[in-house]
Amino acid sequence: MSETITQQALRALVDEWIGAGTKVAGPSYVKKDLCQYVPLTSSAELLLEGFIHPRNSVKDFFFPRHEKIYEYTLKGHEVELADMTPASTPQVIVAARPCDTAAVAILDAVFNWGEKDEFYTQRREAATIVALACVTHDSHCFCTSVGIGPDAEKGADVMLLPLDGGFEVRCLTEKGKTLFAGRTQPSDKTAVIPEGPKVKVSPEQVRAALEDYDNPLWKTATLRCLSCGACSFTCPTCHCFDIVDEGNAHGGCRAKNWDSCQLCMFTKHASGHNPRNVQGQRQRQRTQHKFRIYPDKFGEVLCTGCGNCARNCPVSLGILGTLVELCAEMPKTVGESK
Amino acid sequence: MSNIYMPDLMEVVEVKQHTADVKSVKIKFKDPEKQAKFSFRVGQFGMYSLFGEGESTFNICSSSNWKDHIEFCFRKTGKVTDALWRVDEGDTIGFRGPYGNSYPMEAWEGKNLVFIGGGIAMPPIRCAIWYALENRAKYGDITIVYGARTPRDLVFTDELEKWAEYDRVRVIQCVDPGGETPEWKGEVGLIPNVLAAANVPAGNTAALVIGPPIMIKFTLPVLDRMGVLAPDIYTSLENRMKCGVGKCGRCNCGPVYVCKEGPIFTMEQLNALPADF
Ligand SMILES: Cc1cc2nc3c(=O)[nH]c(=O)nc-3n(C[C@H](O)[C@H](O)[C@H](O)COP(=O)(O)OP(=O)(O)OC[C@H]3O[C@@H](n4cnc5c(N)ncnc54)[C@H](O)[C@@H]3O)c2cc1C
Ligand code: SF4
Ligand code: SF4
Ligand code: FES
Repeated sequence: MSETITQQALRALVDEWIGAGTKVAGPSYVKKDLCQYVPLTSSAELLLEGFIHPRNSVKDFFFPRHEKIYEYTLKGHEVELADMTPASTPQVIVAARPCDTAAVAILDAVFNWGEKDEFYTQRREAATIVALACVTHDSHCFCTSVGIGPDAEKGADVMLLPLDGGFEVRCLTEKGKTLFAGRTQPSDKTAVIPEGPKVKVSPEQVRAALEDYDNPLWKTATLRCLSCGACSFTCPTCHCFDIVDEGNAHGGCRAKNWDSCQLCMFTKHASGHNPRNVQGQRQRQRTQHKFRIYPDKFGEVLCTGCGNCARNCPVSLGILGTLVELCAEMPKTVGESK
Repeated sequence: MSNIYMPDLMEVVEVKQHTADVKSVKIKFKDPEKQAKFSFRVGQFGMYSLFGEGESTFNICSSSNWKDHIEFCFRKTGKVTDALWRVDEGDTIGFRGPYGNSYPMEAWEGKNLVFIGGGIAMPPIRCAIWYALENRAKYGDITIVYGARTPRDLVFTDELEKWAEYDRVRVIQCVDPGGETPEWKGEVGLIPNVLAAANVPAGNTAALVIGPPIMIKFTLPVLDRMGVLAPDIYTSLENRMKCGVGKCGRCNCGPVYVCKEGPIFTMEQLNALPADF
């Protein structure tokens, strides 16, 4: 037994949300061959099949690339500040890939440890995430290597699983149940989701390989990296940001902008000293952070195997290739025991 | 609901120029209630804002016993610090903090203390020195070794003299060879050499060493020969920071977020970290 919804009914429901003033975002072709998660003005824009992974990730709706944190007005010696923490407005992310949905759950840790980042947490609390299971994958996908998969439910409030002409609907949380209440039909069919990409790498083995900080691989394997940051910006789990002022003598704002450990200025001290002066060190940092530092600190690998870093890299790098190379040098037994 | 990136507004109460490019600034909360409630531990840092220019990270260089203001000291070196240079009494700046860990002033009780600072590194040591002097009975002998390139590069020189007047406090000032002026009465030599020659008794000692990496590098073997070992040598890292609260990722160095788990580390801890600092 399962609950189902037809494509048509789902689209009608999406239009209802939009009509009620809820912010809705989902995958859409913004131009030929470029599929991205974008705010939707109508369900007609929404893609429900025929795409593998949008070029961006759903983090954009919790942690936007640019956001004001406050505005300031200068009046002589005095300063006035206006808090720009977003009001908690309901939003629905629909047809999010499981690797993106899982990423949000993983990011919760860093935005909540110690001090809470209300910019993230407000949006997160007011959001309902409707995931869409994957029936195809490409050579960049490796979700199954990092404990996720084509129908992984992590971070999702609802899971939609393609089932002839529509979807099986699994409501996973109260939020999800509320969103779909009365909209689904019981059915005696259940969706069968293909297995997804084969396992390509083991995080334990990667973790073990990363113990060797001075691995010569970093000097060679990533030499062609341009330090452009495209991998980080389109990665669902990368979350580094900058804090900058934009304004003039009368006023302006302070903003949180995306940043990346791949950019050469990221760690440069005022003295000119730069702890990560060459690109190999910066690639090492990204990999260390995802497969060693974050897991050690927050208990989860900071990568969902979405493959976006490879899809978006202008010089065909991507973390998977690096991980495979890293592990190829390791004796097979290391990290596999436990 | 609270915005963790929102600074408090502070009034600049005093600005003092120390060298051609170093100034210290006293500030207090515009809201007297916040000033009364504010507390920190020596060694912690803050994020200081000049609106329209940006935010910079500086140690709080006043003692945590001083309740009516806090103080920071900065070197003019870039966008924000150039602009801060123009700040005057009565101006308004922003402050967030205190952030980070602090010196283990309680664990240091009963020990002899050696403070070693190079150049602009005096401010983050100064707060610990004042704190120790204000609790003089709790600490053993205190030795302060402070060096800079030339006498004109020393900061808080008036306070160096005050510290020397305290019981069982020895202040050794030095300038690099060639940097001395005819009036210079202190030592001439690099900090590690001056320290090695100074015969500082080193039993039951904790050392705080802050300065350029090269100075720290050559000072460590001297401390080692004196018998002060890695677990008892402390320093403060200056990884670039933005948020100060473990979110933005910038200060990350191996397993630690320097803004949360640092900036104060023992040499033993640093030896276990990758050299990303
Ligand atoms: C915990 C901690 C405590 C600290 N305590 C103190 C203290 O007590 N006193 C103190 O003086 N300092 C302290 N510092 C260092 C201080 O934070 C920096 O010196 C300060 O933030 C520099 O800010 P700035 O905006 O003036 O420099 P920025 O304008 O940010 O520039 C700094 C440097 O970055 C480089 N740079 C920036 N932008 C560019 C560009 N577009 N192109 C090329 N190069 C560029 C340059 O090398 C420049 O000199 C501390 C740092 C930390 C982490
Ligand atoms: S590192 Fe690459 S594969 Fe992993 S989550 Fe980020 S973009 Fe996806
Ligand atoms: S790995 Fe590729 S996408 Fe990432 S910074 Fe380097 S060149 Fe850019
Ligand atoms: S300064 Fe942002 S994480 Fe430490």
